[in-house]
Amino acid sequence: MSGRTDDHQWSQQHLSHYVEGELRPRARRRLDRHAWDCADCGRGIRAMRALVYAVQGLDGLAGVRAPATIFDRVRLAGAGGSPSSQNI
Amino acid sequence: MPPLAGKRAPDPADTEASLLARAQAGDVRAFERLSSAYADRLFMLLLRLLGDRGEAEDVAQEVMLRAWQGIGRFRGQSSYFTWLYRIAVNEANRALEKKARRPAGVSIGAHELQLPASPAHDPSRQAENSELRRDLGQALTQLPPVLRTAIVLRDVEGLSTQEAAEIVGVGQAAFKSRLHQARLRVRAAIGDEALIIAGG
Repeated sequence: MSGRTDDHQWSQQHLSHYVEGELRPRARRRLDRHAWDCADCGRGIRAMRALVYAVQGLDGLAGVRAPATIFDRVRLAGAGGSPSSQNI
Repeated sequence: MPPLAGKRAPDPADTEASLLARAQAGDVRAFERLSSAYADRLFMLLLRLLGDRGEAEDVAQEVMLRAWQGIGRFRGQSSYFTWLYRIAVNEANRALEKKARRPAGVSIGAHELQLPASPAHDPSRQAENSELRRDLGQALTQLPPVLRTAIVLRDVEGLSTQEAAEIVGVGQAAFKSRLHQARLRVRAAIGDEALIIAGG
């Protein structure tokens, strides 16, 4: 029983790595075996996959351009001389 | 050998290494040309981290100023892009911390973040996506800055774990831990059912 509890806790902590395919084969098999009959972890895998996909889709800013003013402060400071002579 | 028809050999004066050397020697225009290549992407990152256009514009100017002031000390141990992004992340976090100390919280522009339309253009599916988009935007804005930075760099920006960890200035294991924490919090905020339904 405690082995199953350990597997469950371990699986929950590694869902993120699992969906990214970052687990080593042995670790992946361990999570696969556990998730096979653990509804909670099975749902966790599906939810984590859906979350990563959805966040990756937050691309509504594509095409946004930097403002023309982005170098204004540099130009002001640049009049003062070489950058190597200045401190951040 | 002459360049192939239709392709122009890059002007040696315009290579990143050349622009960098000139910028480090104090050439502001070279610095601008060097950094312009990343300006749009950097501004999008700031918008995603800060969620407010006015603030992103202010911080973007500060990032470029800091990069200009520090370029003499850039030794090329990372790529220029990584170095610039690191400054941007630091400045964004500084701005977020300043904002967090203000008494009244200002809603961060979740409306600026959009999910792509569903391939089938199914109206009910689009409505679900729209709702999910709003909820995701809100959940991201409620994350502590370090966790928000992790999920934005890795999942939204699509950087590798190695690149993102380098930008944040932590080891890959620590970065993965932050990313996992960020995803768990967003997942808890949205709810498994909503995510699974939206994911189809």
